[in-house]
Amino acid sequence: MEYIALLIFFFILLGLALVFVFINYVLGPKSSDALQDYPYECGVPLYDKSAQSTFHQGYYLLGLLLLLFDIEAAFLFPWTVVYRYLGIFGFIEMFLFILILTYGLLYAWRKGALNWQFEEESL
Amino acid sequence: MEGLLAWLVITLIKIVVILAIVLGVGAYLTLVERKVAAHIQRRPGPMVVGWHGLLQPLADGLKLLTKEDLFPRYGNRFLYNLALVMALVPATLVFAVVPFGPEFEAFGIKVKPILTDVNIGLLLVFALGSMAVFSIALAGWASNSKYALIGSMRKAGIIVSYEVVITFAVMGPIILAGTLSTYDIVQNQIDQKLWYVWLQPIAFVVYMFAMLAETGRVPFDVQEAEAELVTGFTVEYGGMKFGLFPLVEWYIEVLSLSAIAVVLFFGGWSPINIPFLGFVDPLFFLGPLSPFVWFVLKVSLLFLFVLWLHWTLPRYRIDQITETAWKVMLPLTFVNLVLTAVFAPLIWR
Repeated sequence: MEYIALLIFFFILLGLALVFVFINYVLGPKSSDALQDYPYECGVPLYDKSAQSTFHQGYYLLGLLLLLFDIEAAFLFPWTVVYRYLGIFGFIEMFLFILILTYGLLYAWRKGALNWQFEEESL
Repeated sequence: MEGLLAWLVITLIKIVVILAIVLGVGAYLTLVERKVAAHIQRRPGPMVVGWHGLLQPLADGLKLLTKEDLFPRYGNRFLYNLALVMALVPATLVFAVVPFGPEFEAFGIKVKPILTDVNIGLLLVFALGSMAVFSIALAGWASNSKYALIGSMRKAGIIVSYEVVITFAVMGPIILAGTLSTYDIVQNQIDQKLWYVWLQPIAFVVYMFAMLAETGRVPFDVQEAEAELVTGFTVEYGGMKFGLFPLVEWYIEVLSLSAIAVVLFFGGWSPINIPFLGFVDPLFFLGPLSPFVWFVLKVSLLFLFVLWLHWTLPRYRIDQITETAWKVMLPLTFVNLVLTAVFAPLIWR
């Protein structure tokens, strides 16, 4: 029952978002100018048409780190809820887990994965 | 059957109220922001449309609605529009688990002022919060413009870094409360006569950092960086689509994360707390309305705090921001988690 309310809300929001997507097409004027849909680049012609070729590799590394640590966060969430009933056993178990986690972080730190990868360094 | 109908009506009323709050208040927060920004910079701000610019959001909305629908010619139209849907829907869906006040009785029916009191409320908040990264990455990618791509990549990198930090930061209050349901977390704080901010100052500071980063508010607004990137990933959006991204990012998300911060650290709808002793309510004369007023008051104070930061601080670089997340904030949350686990049994009694 609780989740059905969530589902109703989701579909109402989806409808609203679709309204926002199409409302300008309905209400707005339609003019035709040769360059009006040209990608913005400070008024100069585009050097290449696609911008989807390169981005900084540092972002890729951040994504990898997120995968590692967010999965571990997913392990910790159930523990935080039932920790009250686990007693000293739960504490020691999770202390060891967090210790290993910290070790993983230190390893990444030592390897330089946490540093922003400047391109100058590779030259 | 009648019970089901009553449930449906109540749910729909709640949804309408939440939508009114999110879109109405969200739109008017643009005026609040402009006024606050103006007075911080010693100028009056919008004054022309209506009394002290009170009708300005309506004028802005009308202007945005009547703009032409443009689409960058080398982009991907489906992803371009999908980004907009994925920005609005998860950010607003978070409000489904924000408790606005205690349970009350109207016309013989008990009503909880929360859309759904699911027992995984907080998990839902952060799951939906993580969806923001998709909308931003898609918006930049689908626009196929260099400024948009740079802006969206920066923002995605920041969100990805602070996503980890924020999930570890909220674990402290969850241990103290022993539940993930937002309603029960507030109820537990009232029962324990303790706002968790008194025991979790580290978690609160880290949470505020993560909140500023995830919403792209000032010390961390490199995705926008109007001096270098025009407006970042929204460069190629026009009309209402352009209006919606800042609305979602700067107002709806700040509001929802402030509300969650109030729930986690400031005892939701409870009045001023003296640790372990009880609550002092200077607004007692409002009677049953006072919890709602307290909740709104706390959320607006947090929102104004964010605005205050926005208009007084300079901007950091992306490498400084992400390195702070991994090297300072994450170890801090680990320390906080272990400390909380040690002294939590004292709080439960």
